[in-house]
Amino acid sequence: MTGTGVSRSAGNAETVTGGAAMPPLVVEHVTKSYEVGGRIVPVIGDLSLTLREGEIVSIVGPSGCGKTTLLNTLCGLLTPDSGRIRWHGREVSGQPQNVGYMLQKDLLLPWRTALGNAMLGLEIRGVAPSEAQDRGHAMLDQLGLHGFAHHYPSTLSGGMRQRVALARTLVNEPDVLLLDEPFAALDFQNKLLIENDTAALVRKSKRSLLLITHDIEEAVSLADRVIVLSKRPTRVKAVYDIALGPERTDMIAMRQSQDFSQYVRRIWADLDVVLQ
Amino acid sequence: MIADVDTAMPRSTDASEPVAAPVAGRRWKKLRSTAIVLATQVAILAAFLGFWDYMTSQNRAAAFMFGSPSAIAGFLGQMARDGSLWRDSYVTGSETLLGFFVGNLVGTVIGLSLWYSRFVSRVVEPFVIAVGSIPIIALAPIIIIWFGTGLISKVAMSTLSVVIVALVTSYKGAVGVDPDQINLMRTLGASKFQIFRKLVVPASLTDIFAGLKLTVGFALIGAIVGEFMSSSEGLGHAIFKAGSLYVIPKVFAALVATIALALILTFIVGKIERLLMPWRRNP
Repeated sequence: MTGTGVSRSAGNAETVTGGAAMPPLVVEHVTKSYEVGGRIVPVIGDLSLTLREGEIVSIVGPSGCGKTTLLNTLCGLLTPDSGRIRWHGREVSGQPQNVGYMLQKDLLLPWRTALGNAMLGLEIRGVAPSEAQDRGHAMLDQLGLHGFAHHYPSTLSGGMRQRVALARTLVNEPDVLLLDEPFAALDFQNKLLIENDTAALVRKSKRSLLLITHDIEEAVSLADRVIVLSKRPTRVKAVYDIALGPERTDMIAMRQSQDFSQYVRRIWADLDVVLQ
Repeated sequence: MIADVDTAMPRSTDASEPVAAPVAGRRWKKLRSTAIVLATQVAILAAFLGFWDYMTSQNRAAAFMFGSPSAIAGFLGQMARDGSLWRDSYVTGSETLLGFFVGNLVGTVIGLSLWYSRFVSRVVEPFVIAVGSIPIIALAPIIIIWFGTGLISKVAMSTLSVVIVALVTSYKGAVGVDPDQINLMRTLGASKFQIFRKLVVPASLTDIFAGLKLTVGFALIGAIVGEFMSSSEGLGHAIFKAGSLYVIPKVFAALVATIALALILTFIVGKIERLLMPWRRNP
């Protein structure tokens, strides 16, 4: 059921000409290996996936399965050994345009205030300082950081720092967001709150989001689709379309719905975790 | 009514705010512990000077060999009155500052720009280590031949004592930048120069200032060694002359002035550091 759904819509997109209707991200048969001490260690083995416009896709996989390698390959920080990565139908060399990238580490620059950090991307792209400031302020306000614009990161809590990092990513108005375990270091409460905000902002502006996580509940509650990866060399093991109703921005309601635990249990079984 | 709302507002939103108002009691506690540390330091110094003064007052030979705090104070007073203390400190101070400035500027600029090219830094590394291992004092005679016996030769000595340390510390700082942070800059579309200016330089400031604090002393040593070799003024000259004439207390008096100079320069560097890195100030 799920498999046919994926291939049918991907086929539709292929036949449409013109960049606008192309899915933002198509990954085809990508492989990547590392050389460690003279030995070739395959990390990604023949991986294909599609991220459609306005879609939230979560990727879960066993620990050390190469999720971060995948993400770094997608944003052009690593080059795949073979296979194709197409952004809006085109292969790009180097960093793709209009892609936002966020990690578990907030990577805030300690010498910049919250506003200065939020503005970083705009500044790099040469946006006029006054406009950059206005947009930075607006984004911080949207993420509940009103009044903290001039605080240095060292004076902010972990949740607030991660919100600043999210503001830094979103203020560039990327078409696609690539998030690598962005909320993993947060406590449960903060995590739910920031997940809510992320879902609301991404869905409102119809952006696409690829979320790499090890947290199955996070994956299911946020995403339209969950891709389960296998152990190394990583490939797609299973794909789940998550049907939890049309209203998808309340993380607590998501977690309380009946199907939610069903999905979590099936994905958990797929991950094939061996408990001691 | 409005006042009510204003005072209620922060309380309702501060569920996860870490920013606590400084508590008066805590500040007082901190002040008191600082005072205790200071008092202990003064007590140790007083005990040391008292012991020194007492021992040398009992024995004329010891007084000749080791000087005595009271004789040192006497010489300091005399040097202050005849103006030589200020003149010598000024001469050595300007040599030190010039050497400190030139050495750190050159060293830091080279050290940071080595970040730009892995190739160049690999080529240069053995040369840097080789130059860094030369004892500066061995160069002093050549420096005097090249630059004469005036100010320039002392500044050159001082610069040489500083430049390699400044180069190595700033380079260490530049290559120590978190690679994830560089990746982030790249995904934001930053050019190599933007990464350098917006990330590498500010991130290296901590290491650069550690280098500055270290090199204040090195710059002073360079200037004094230069003065030892050949000079007509400066604290190094005063130390050398008094030593040659066996006026031990005067040697110590000039040393006290040297230490004071080092402390003042270190203090100034610390002030500048706080000014340039406001994010490291405690809230």
